[in-house]
Amino acid sequence: MRLLVIEDDPALLRSLAATFREEGYAVDTADDGAEGLRKARQGSYDAVVLDVMLPKLDGWGVLAGLRPDIRTPVLMLTARDTVPDRIKGLDHGADDYLTKPFDIDELLARVRALIRRAAGQTQALVSIGAVTLDTTARLVSLDGTNVPLTAREYSLFEYLALHRGEVVSRATLYEHLFDEDDDTLSNLLDVHVSNLRKKLGHDLITTRRGLGYSIP
Amino acid sequence: MSSFLHSIRWRIQAWHGAILFVAIAAFCVTAYHFAWDHQLRRVDRELQESEHLLIRTLMDAAKPEKDAGPMRPEELAGHLLAGTITLPPDVIARFADSSYFSIRDGDGRILLQSANAPADLVPLPVPANGFNEATRAAGLRRESLRSSARGFSSIIGRDITRERDEMRRFAWLLAASGLGVWLLGLLGGWWLAGRAIQPIAAISHAATRIAEGNLAERIDTSGTDSELDQLSLVLNQTFERLHTAFERQRQFTADASHELRTPVTILLAETQRILKRDRKPEEYRDALATCQATAERMRRLIESLLLLARQEATSPSDAQVCSDRNTLVHQPCDLADVLRDTAGQLQPLADARGITLETHLQPAPCLADSSMLSILAANIVGNAIQHQNPDSTGGTVHITTGYDDGQVFFSVSDPGPGISAEDLPHIFERFYRADKARAGSSGHTGLGLAIARIIAENHGGSIKAVSSLGQGATFTVSLPSPPAT
Repeated sequence: MRLLVIEDDPALLRSLAATFREEGYAVDTADDGAEGLRKARQGSYDAVVLDVMLPKLDGWGVLAGLRPDIRTPVLMLTARDTVPDRIKGLDHGADDYLTKPFDIDELLARVRALIRRAAGQTQALVSIGAVTLDTTARLVSLDGTNVPLTAREYSLFEYLALHRGEVVSRATLYEHLFDEDDDTLSNLLDVHVSNLRKKLGHDLITTRRGLGYSIP
Repeated sequence: MSSFLHSIRWRIQAWHGAILFVAIAAFCVTAYHFAWDHQLRRVDRELQESEHLLIRTLMDAAKPEKDAGPMRPEELAGHLLAGTITLPPDVIARFADSSYFSIRDGDGRILLQSANAPADLVPLPVPANGFNEATRAAGLRRESLRSSARGFSSIIGRDITRERDEMRRFAWLLAASGLGVWLLGLLGGWWLAGRAIQPIAAISHAATRIAEGNLAERIDTSGTDSELDQLSLVLNQTFERLHTAFERQRQFTADASHELRTPVTILLAETQRILKRDRKPEEYRDALATCQATAERMRRLIESLLLLARQEATSPSDAQVCSDRNTLVHQPCDLADVLRDTAGQLQPLADARGITLETHLQPAPCLADSSMLSILAANIVGNAIQHQNPDSTGGTVHITTGYDDGQVFFSVSDPGPGISAEDLPHIFERFYRADKARAGSSGHTGLGLAIARIIAENHGGSIKAVSSLGQGATFTVSLPSPPAT
């Protein structure tokens, strides 16, 4: 899963990016509204974490630039906690709203929920045959026993599982698994897919030649 | 019930009613007496005329010849006793109805009297010499009595039942109209009292709304200079001061909570992240360094906010409201010394940014709180050092002090990026940042210039900035010069 964090306070930006990376997300950052909007419009992100008070272009401006054509879920962070502020945020196209200071676990849970909802899933547990995906604990189990996966393998499987039934192209997968600074070769995807098949069963992920991968 | 009796309106009304009642009653009684007097005088005049007529007629009747001399009373008495005198019919007619007369001699014998004379007439006693005269009211009769030493006494009287009735009617009329006037007066008084206490009710309503928390509410002053308007003005001023003080308090709390949210978020995010799993010592060190820097930023922010709040609390505009706990200590000091010290303290910061500090210090004596002036100077000079073009290396900040046009001043010019005309009016507002960037990590809180302004104003001075984009900026602080000693 790939996130964009737009926050002007350098210390907070660094801390948030580190937190999300440690949770297995690919994270891009922007420290002003204009750059944030540019990145959000260009990249394909699973969610955007957006501060309201930003230099050059504030959070409302970024939101206005995104909607309605970019449907990436947006979670707004703000120091203002009055009800009108929250209503304004939600009415302007934000999907969720979090007031500073927040608990980091709450932020993570809300981002997980946003991504899950955007993918059309309503529950944190996704079952595909004998395989169960727990997006909260970031665990995958086969017939009730945990299968140890690397962070990349987990992210790849999570993305495919949340988009079950769709054919996900290699380019899309690449975009959602690696951040902008990552220059990993794209054929690593094939390695991860083959590892997943070894660990979870060979017919779990099907390859559509020339189109991509899919979990039927 | 007690509130009804204690109501000012009711009390005014009660007093007004009582006073009005006494006044009207006094008026009515006086009017009645005047009218009764008038009636009696009229009756008396009538009696007198009848008396004259009677005497003259008697005299004429008793005197056989026209040219005879004046008749003596004894003769007249003789004639009367003898019954030889007859009165002409017009005189008899005059004493036929309600008037009567009775003439008697010294022994009380009736010499002549009208047919309708009452039996219980009491003549005046005959005096030893001279005359006795009296006018008296006897029951429903009015009589004019006369007696002389020569042995005559006369009573001319009249029944005054008609006048009495008339007066009774008049009394009723007076009472009725007096009551009417009194009732009208009561109504008018009620209206007047209502009008008089209407502003009080308005004041009370406004004060209630203010007490309920609507601090922006004010009492409507109608603009006339009445006593209540003056009271309203005084109350409004009090409310204004309370409002300002309350606003300041609210502003401080809002600012503090708003500006502290981001650093607290950093502390939480960083500590929660780092505690999620075991880490290498360098990671702990990094996180702790971040936390320390954030905590220092919070400390700076809190100190600045408190400084600002205290300075605002000492501002001269509401010196009456606040205690003297925060008043400035004004001592003779010299801006040149203050700026020299400030430049010395900020030299390391300037060196780190490759900036030269150039001072042009002329003596500028003033009366001020030197510790506050140091903060003011440090904020202005620090601001000049920090606002440099990021790409330019070095530059010179000019610091000038001097005396000009009755004021002492210092000015700080920097060659930085300048301030746009649109930002310029706002740079002294708290938390206003021209670039909208939160520069928390680079050391300023967004309060430096706001603090500078309030310090300058508390010293009776002013601060102004001249700048345009790309042309650098010049901040000038002017303070009143002390009177020459």
